[in-house]
Amino acid sequence: MATSTEAPKTVTLTTSDNADIQVEREVAERSILIKNLLEDLGGDSNEAIPIPNVNEAVMKKVLEWCEQHRKDPPASQDDDSDSRKKSTDIDEWDQKFMQVDQEMLFEIILAANYLDIKALLDVGCKTVANMIKGKSPDEIRKTFNIQNDFTPEEEDQIRRENEWAEDR
Amino acid sequence: MATKSNFKRAVPTGDHSRHHVLASLHTTQLVDSKAVLPAELIATILDYLPIPDMFRFARTSKRMQEMVYDDTRWIQRLKSMGCWNDVEARQRFEEAMRRRMEAQRAREAEEAPRTGVGLNGSINGIAGGGDAEQKISVTLFDAGLEEDVQRKSLDWKVRPRTGMLDRGFDDMTLSPTGSSAPLTLDPNVALKVFSNVRSIRGMARQEYGKVYGALAPYYFDLARSRSHTDPVLFRTYRDPEQQAQMLSQLKIFAKSDFAQGWNQREERVDTMMGIFENAVLREFEQGYEYKDFDGRMKRYAHVLVTLNGGAAGVDSFIHNHPLMLDKDKLGNPADCLRHAGPGQVSLQPSHQFFKGLATALNEEAAIIDRVFPMSIDVLLPFVDRIGEDIISEYVTTLFDEAHEVSIEVYLKAVSGVFEQALQFAISLKPTQGSMPNFQEEVMRVISRCFEPHVDLYLQEELDFFKQKSAAEVEAWEKRLTDEEQSTESFFMSNVNRQAAKRDFLTSFKKVVMMPVNVLPTIGGSSKPASSTLGINGDTLDPTSGTSTPIPSERSASPRLEAPSTELAAKAAIMNSRLEGIRSLFSIEVALNLIHTAKSSLERAARFVRLGGQSGEESKDQCENVFISLLQILGNRHIKPGFDKAVNHLSAYRPREVADHNKQGVAPLVAFLELVNVGDLIQQMVDVFYLQELVAANLTDRDDFLSPACKEKKRFEQMLDERVAAGLNKGIDVLMDEVEYLCGTTQSPTDFNPLVGADGTVQLLDIGPSHTAKKVIDIVQSHTSMLVGSTDKNVLDVFNQEVGLRLFTALCKHLKRQRISVDGAIKLISDMNAYNTYIASLRNKSLTQYFSALRELSQIYLIAPNHAKDIATIIADSDRYHGIFRAEEVYEFAERRVDWYQLKREVEKQMYGVGCVTM
Repeated sequence: MATSTEAPKTVTLTTSDNADIQVEREVAERSILIKNLLEDLGGDSNEAIPIPNVNEAVMKKVLEWCEQHRKDPPASQDDDSDSRKKSTDIDEWDQKFMQVDQEMLFEIILAANYLDIKALLDVGCKTVANMIKGKSPDEIRKTFNIQNDFTPEEEDQIRRENEWAEDR
Repeated sequence: MATKSNFKRAVPTGDHSRHHVLASLHTTQLVDSKAVLPAELIATILDYLPIPDMFRFARTSKRMQEMVYDDTRWIQRLKSMGCWNDVEARQRFEEAMRRRMEAQRAREAEEAPRTGVGLNGSINGIAGGGDAEQKISVTLFDAGLEEDVQRKSLDWKVRPRTGMLDRGFDDMTLSPTGSSAPLTLDPNVALKVFSNVRSIRGMARQEYGKVYGALAPYYFDLARSRSHTDPVLFRTYRDPEQQAQMLSQLKIFAKSDFAQGWNQREERVDTMMGIFENAVLREFEQGYEYKDFDGRMKRYAHVLVTLNGGAAGVDSFIHNHPLMLDKDKLGNPADCLRHAGPGQVSLQPSHQFFKGLATALNEEAAIIDRVFPMSIDVLLPFVDRIGEDIISEYVTTLFDEAHEVSIEVYLKAVSGVFEQALQFAISLKPTQGSMPNFQEEVMRVISRCFEPHVDLYLQEELDFFKQKSAAEVEAWEKRLTDEEQSTESFFMSNVNRQAAKRDFLTSFKKVVMMPVNVLPTIGGSSKPASSTLGINGDTLDPTSGTSTPIPSERSASPRLEAPSTELAAKAAIMNSRLEGIRSLFSIEVALNLIHTAKSSLERAARFVRLGGQSGEESKDQCENVFISLLQILGNRHIKPGFDKAVNHLSAYRPREVADHNKQGVAPLVAFLELVNVGDLIQQMVDVFYLQELVAANLTDRDDFLSPACKEKKRFEQMLDERVAAGLNKGIDVLMDEVEYLCGTTQSPTDFNPLVGADGTVQLLDIGPSHTAKKVIDIVQSHTSMLVGSTDKNVLDVFNQEVGLRLFTALCKHLKRQRISVDGAIKLISDMNAYNTYIASLRNKSLTQYFSALRELSQIYLIAPNHAKDIATIIADSDRYHGIFRAEEVYEFAERRVDWYQLKREVEKQMYGVGCVTM
C-alpha cells in the first residue's frame, strides 16, 4: 500500500443523511468494507466514501468504537466457519459504550454488520443476548416488538417440548 | 449481504408495528430497518444465549421458534462435544427417507390433504413448491441446509410426537414426572448419556436435549457450588467410578456451553475435577503403598482413566515407582571404569545395569496389565521416564567419566553402551495397553537418551582415528629411520606370488566380515556375559611384532580369535617376504590402519540406527573415517614409499654397483614389489570399502558424488600414477642394466671364436651366450614380477616398452661386435633365445621386431664366397617385416669379420655396374 506509512491520512465518509465525516484512515479501516473499498480505489483518491446505509449519529457512534479499538489485532477471517463460540465477555469500555437506547443498539449492530466490523458486531449481539437473558417470552416480545403468532396451546407446546432446558 | 435483502422482505411477517421503518423501507432500497435485526444477526445473538432463554425466545413467535429450532444450531453444539457423526447422520437420513416414503404411502388415505406437505419436507426436489403454501417465508433463508429445519418444523406440525420422532427422550421428558424435577431423572441414564446420543438430521435439538437434560442440572449446580461437598453430583452418585464418569461428561458438556460466563463455569468444573482427581489419586497411591494391585489400585486406576484418561494416575504410578526412587540400586556408572584396568572400560556392569532395568520393567509391565485398563498405554510413558531419568543419567555420568579417563575408553563406552541400550529396548515386552509401534517408540526413547552424546562422540571418533593412524605411521617412520642403516635385502621369491596374495586377501576378507566388537545379548535367555567376551578389545590386532614370521604366535584367547590370528600370521609371513621393501612402506601398518578404521567404523555405524539427523551424521562420519583412512594410508604412507622407491630407481647407476651377481636390480625389484604391495593394499581397501561401507549401507556405491567414493578413486589414481612413474624409471634402469651387462660380460670371442691350431673353430657349446642368458634372465624376472599386480593394459604397455628398448639395446650391442661365420651360430642362438623370450610375452609387434633381428643375424652365417647371396639378403626388406631398411642391414653386415674382403662383391651385387667404377 502506497499510503500506509505516511502521517495520519484521513478519509471522508458520507453518511445516509449526507453528512461528511472526516476520520483517520486507520480508524476507518476497522471496517473491512471501507478498507476493501479504499484498497479498490487505490491510493490517494480524496473522494468521499458514501455510506448509504448508516446515518450520521450511528456512524459517529461506530467511529467512536473504532477509535477506541484502532490498535486491536485484525480479526482472523475464518474463525466463524468453525464455531462462533467461546467469545470472551464484554470488556468494561464496551459495556459502557453499549449503554444506549435499544434503537441505537440495533442501529449499531446493523451498521457493524453492514460495515463488516466483526468485533463490534459481536459486542452488540452479546449485549442483546444479555438483554434477553432471564426474560419471559412476553417480556421479550415487548422488548423486541415481536408479534405473537402462536395460540396459547402452541406456545405451551413449545414449552413442554423443551422442558429439559428449563431453569431450576 | 444476500440475507439482508431477504430479511427485508421477511419483515412484514415478523413485525408490523414499526411503521416508520416500513415506510422508509418502502421508499428507499438502501436504508435499513430501524428495529428488527436481520435473521442472521438474530441467529448470532441466539448463540450467546443460555439454553433456557433460547426457548423462551422461541416462544415469542413462529419465526423465532424456527430460528431457535434450526437444526444446524444444535448440530453445532453436538459437534462441539464431539458427539455428532456426519456419516451416521447421512445413513440415518437416507434410511429415514426410505421409511418415511413407506409410511407416506400407508398414510395417504387418511391424511390426503396434508400429504403434499409431508412429501415436500422429505424430498428436497419438490420442497420449493410445497413451501409456498406455508406461512413461513421461504425467502428467509436460501441455503439448502435450511430445508432440514423447515422439514423438521413441518414434521413437528404434521405429526406431533408420532412415529420415529418420539423415541427415547421425548417420552421421558414429556412424562408428567419429568416436568416436576429434572433431577429425578434416572441417574443411571445420565451416566451413559453420551453413548446414547445419535446423529440424526432434524433431531439434533432433541438429542442435545437429552444430554442437556441429563447433565445441565449437575453442571450448573457444580458451577454454583462453593465447596466440593456441595454439588448434587457427589450426593447423587456415591460410587467414585460414577462420579468420575459424570465429571468427565460434564467436562465435555462444558464445551457446548456458549453463553457468557462459560469460562468461569468451565473453570469451576476443572477445579472440581482437580479436587476429585486428587482424592482418587491419594487412594490410588495408598493402594500402591500396600501393593494392593488388584484391589484398590486397579479400582482407582479405572476411576482415573474414566475421569480424564488417567494421566495423573500414570504420572503418580511412574513417579512413585521404586525404580525411580532408588536409582542407585541398579548400578553405579563408575563401576564400568573401576572394574577394568586403568585405561580400560568394562561393559560388564553396564550390562548388568541394563539387564536389571529390563527385568524390572518387564515385571512392571505385568503389574501394569493388572492395574490399568487396556485403553491407556502406561508402559511407554514409564519407559520414557526411565529413559529420561535413569538411562540418561547413567549414560551421561559414565560417558563423562570415561571421557576423563581417555578418549579411547570413551569411544568404546559410548558405542558399547549404546548397543546394550538397543538390546535393552528390544528385550522389553509391550503391555496390553501398548500401541503396536511400541518397539519403535522405545527405540525413540533410547535414541533420545543418546542423542546429546552422538555429536561429540562422532567427532571424537574421527579425531581419535586420525590421531591413532597418524601415530601409527609416525611410529613406523621413526622405527624406519632407526633401522635405516641396516638395510636388509632378501627378496620374496617370485614363486607363487599371486597365490600367496589371494590367500592373504581371503583371510583378510574373512576378518573384515567378522565384527570387532562382540556384545552379549540381554535377551530372555540372558546367557551370563562371561568375562571372556572381549568387548571392544581389539580382537583384530595383527601381530604387532615388527616382522617376525612366526605363525604360532597366537594371542591369549585363540578360541574366539582364530580368523584374526590366521590373518595376523599370514600378514607376518607376507611381511617377512616383503622384507626388502620394509624401508618403503609396510603392509602391516596398512593392516593396522584398516583395523583401527574398522573398529571406529563399527562403533560409529551403530548410531546410524538412530535414524534422523543423528543417523545421517553418523553416516557422514563413517564416510569421513574411511576418507581419512585413505588419506593417511595413501598420502602419508604409500606415497612417500613410492616416491622413495622411484628416487632410488633414478639414482641407480649400474656401473657403480659392484656386485652384479644378485638376482636382480635391487631398486627395481624393490619397486616392483612395492607395486605388488600397493596393489594388495588397494585390494584390501576395496574389500574393506565393500564390506564395511557398502554392505553396511553406510554409503552408496553408485553415488559418484559421495565423498568416500571420490576419495577412494583419488586413492586408486594416486596409486596408479605412482606405479606409472615408477615403471617409467624402472624401464630406464632395467635397460641400463641390460646395456651394462652387454657391455661387460660379452667377450669378443663369443661371436668371433678363435681359430684353433688345427684350423677348426673351437665351439664350446652351441647354446646362447652367457650374456644373452643373463639379459633374458634379468628382463624376465623383472617383468614377471608385475604379472598379477598391475592392470593388464599397463603390463602390456610395460612389456612393449621393455621389448622395444631391449631391441634397441641389442641392435646397438650388435653393432659393437665383430662376428665371424663360425660365431654366427652363437649369435643366432642368442637371437633365438631373445626371440623365444619375447614370443612368450605374446605381444605381436614385439615378436616381429625380434624375428626380424633373428633373420638379420643370418647374414653372418653366409660363407664369404657367396657375396651375391649376402647382397640379396641385405636387399630383401620383406624378410625383416619392414623393420630394417637395406641401409641398416648393410650396416649390420659391416660387422662381419671378413667384411672388407666381401665389400666389393656385395656392393657390386647391390648397386650394379656403378660400383665397379668406384
